[in-house]
Amino acid sequence: MISLARGPSVLLILAAALATAAAQDTSPASPRPRVKIGFVEIENDPRYEPIRAYERITLKTHEHPYAGAELGVDDATALARVLRADFALERITAKSSADVAPAMLGALDAGTHFFLIDLPAEAFKSLAATLHGRDVINFNVSEPDDALRRDLCAAEFVHVYPSRAQLMDGLVQYIVSRKWRDLLVLQGPSPADAAAATVFEHSAQKFGARIVADQHFKPGADPREREQNDPTLLSAINRDFDVAFVADDTFDFARTVPYRLARPRPVVGSIDLEPVAWHWTWERNGAPQVNSRFDKKTGGRHMEGADWAAWLAVKMIVQSALRTSSADFAKQRTFILGDGTFDGDKGLAMSVRPWDHQVRQAILLAAPYEVVAAAPVEGFLHRTDELDTLGDDEPESPCHLNR
Amino acid sequence: MLKFAAAVLATLACAPAQAKDTGLIFVSNEKTNNIIVIDPKTYKVVKDIKVARRPRDMHFSADHSMLYVACGDDDVVDILDVAKLQVVGKLKTGPSPEAFAIDEKRRRIYVSDEEGSSLAIIDMDRDAIVKEIPTGAEPEGVLLGDDGKTVYVTSEAGDLVHAIDTDTGAIAHDVVVGLRPRRLAATPDGKELWVTAELAGRIDIIDHSRFVVTGSVSFLPPGMRKTDVTPVGLTMARDGKTAYVTLGHAAHVAIVDVATRKALGYILVGKRPWGIALSRDEQTLYVANGLGDDITVIDTKSRKARVSVPVGRIPYGVAVDD
Repeated sequence: MISLARGPSVLLILAAALATAAAQDTSPASPRPRVKIGFVEIENDPRYEPIRAYERITLKTHEHPYAGAELGVDDATALARVLRADFALERITAKSSADVAPAMLGALDAGTHFFLIDLPAEAFKSLAATLHGRDVINFNVSEPDDALRRDLCAAEFVHVYPSRAQLMDGLVQYIVSRKWRDLLVLQGPSPADAAAATVFEHSAQKFGARIVADQHFKPGADPREREQNDPTLLSAINRDFDVAFVADDTFDFARTVPYRLARPRPVVGSIDLEPVAWHWTWERNGAPQVNSRFDKKTGGRHMEGADWAAWLAVKMIVQSALRTSSADFAKQRTFILGDGTFDGDKGLAMSVRPWDHQVRQAILLAAPYEVVAAAPVEGFLHRTDELDTLGDDEPESPCHLNR
Repeated sequence: MLKFAAAVLATLACAPAQAKDTGLIFVSNEKTNNIIVIDPKTYKVVKDIKVARRPRDMHFSADHSMLYVACGDDDVVDILDVAKLQVVGKLKTGPSPEAFAIDEKRRRIYVSDEEGSSLAIIDMDRDAIVKEIPTGAEPEGVLLGDDGKTVYVTSEAGDLVHAIDTDTGAIAHDVVVGLRPRRLAATPDGKELWVTAELAGRIDIIDHSRFVVTGSVSFLPPGMRKTDVTPVGLTMARDGKTAYVTLGHAAHVAIVDVATRKALGYILVGKRPWGIALSRDEQTLYVANGLGDDITVIDTKSRKARVSVPVGRIPYGVAVDD
């Protein structure tokens, strides 16, 4: 399925092809060709605000995943030598969402065809309109929003970060595999919480679990609202439940739930057992080496889902040059969207779903210090590819980029 | 385990009289930091030898008096006395040594340092790293050519096999292979290098003289899917006719006809088999099941698993003293 590069002759052809690309390169000083990769972000992206406790103590910090992309380029050092080409990252930080498209068009005119998109979901729509039909691949590295896969459904995007549907399907597969069938949902007031709860409930239906109650919480300490802000009262329901799912984007309420339910039950979702794209304790599939290189590069930061997605996006670009022996964007795109398989250090080889350009991948179910399981969980079968038991499979997706 | 060290195999073939032939089976266990020694007849544990942390690849000295063990988390190669069944020394390596090959004539060890992305050349007598050669990311399998002039290393994350000149330390050739190349074996005639490509689900065959990929072997045990097949360990019979390959996620060992490059059959083993070794008489095959904490003992004639023996946690490799 993958045609192999066959030693020196093919490498010479590639070197020649890349040399042609170099001739078109705007930086003639460069001694060898460069495959340019833009990393696109905005200032003050609210998704990267630190999450703090009331006391202004930082509970969680999130960093832009630029270091993940840098690690991808570092990891390609030996391949770059063999290919006689360089992979160069360019960090494009726009003032606001409105400034993103012009900056990207500028980079595209200067020969960049690959972009890593680290933007909030709202920024995608205008970007898709501006770049429609252009020779670009925009790798979504941090946004799980299902609407980007279903409604926006743009051919110029590849979603490396898992969709919310993939994440929740992974979580529910694990819950069901434990025979925890009756689920309590605790959802917060934000649209993100509602979206997460809806997707979770859909996954529960898909895999045969029951939602026994769907409670809406309101964070706060007001005793008059205790029915809505106290986890014990919220979970003191007539029906028993096996597990409580919390959807809380702010994390403020979620952290008060464990050990405070009316019954001694595990908590999943925003805390305790979280479905993630990546975890710093993942021990298999070569992950410890990747985590350790990332740790070293960042001075001790744990690699998170978005870092992993940025790292993998760069690997996908490098693989496309390697396996097509080509610097021709059209050939690279055909490889990435077609036969290309990629090693994301999560076991099964990954590929791009032709219908909505979501990367097929395993989902990790992570407790704070342990990856409890990886989905697809054993026993969840699929007629062609078990990774397609997670997220929107072709028949249920409203997006048909392959038709 | 002898799969990496063609030179060791060759030397062994010349000097069987020096071997102690205890028949003991040595299994390295990554998580319990020990070597479990098993009696080949009773399958009872004879000895549990504590070693440095995360023992992985193992090779005997030519006379089988010593067993060398790469210990990934303590950055050493431990030296075990095979007669005494105890650790008698160690050699310093780079960060996270995984696999290695020994050149007894030059008193050198070539070891892949997974975290350092390099191949270290170690002077065994001086206990010193003579040279460190940068490789692609996550180097793993190491194979020394028969003449000792070239050492081959896979780069797991770089999809490359490097051919390194052992005198100059320069990378003489690179060849691009399938996704996630893991381990190497040479055909006894010296014409081919076989490399497992874990995520491509196949073995790529490198023509030794031209250093290009000229073919491949693919696998599909009954009832499995292509994506289940993740080959890692391999070993070859001395006559070069048959190869045995562990298929990882697919929980099988494949028997391969080397001449036709076709899988002849599959044997069900434990969970995630990687390490693999043949007994000297080639009647018995030992497979380490990394996620099953046991080894499977296979009768090569009947192609049936004889018994499975519990060992330590995450068994990596098997070495047989015969």
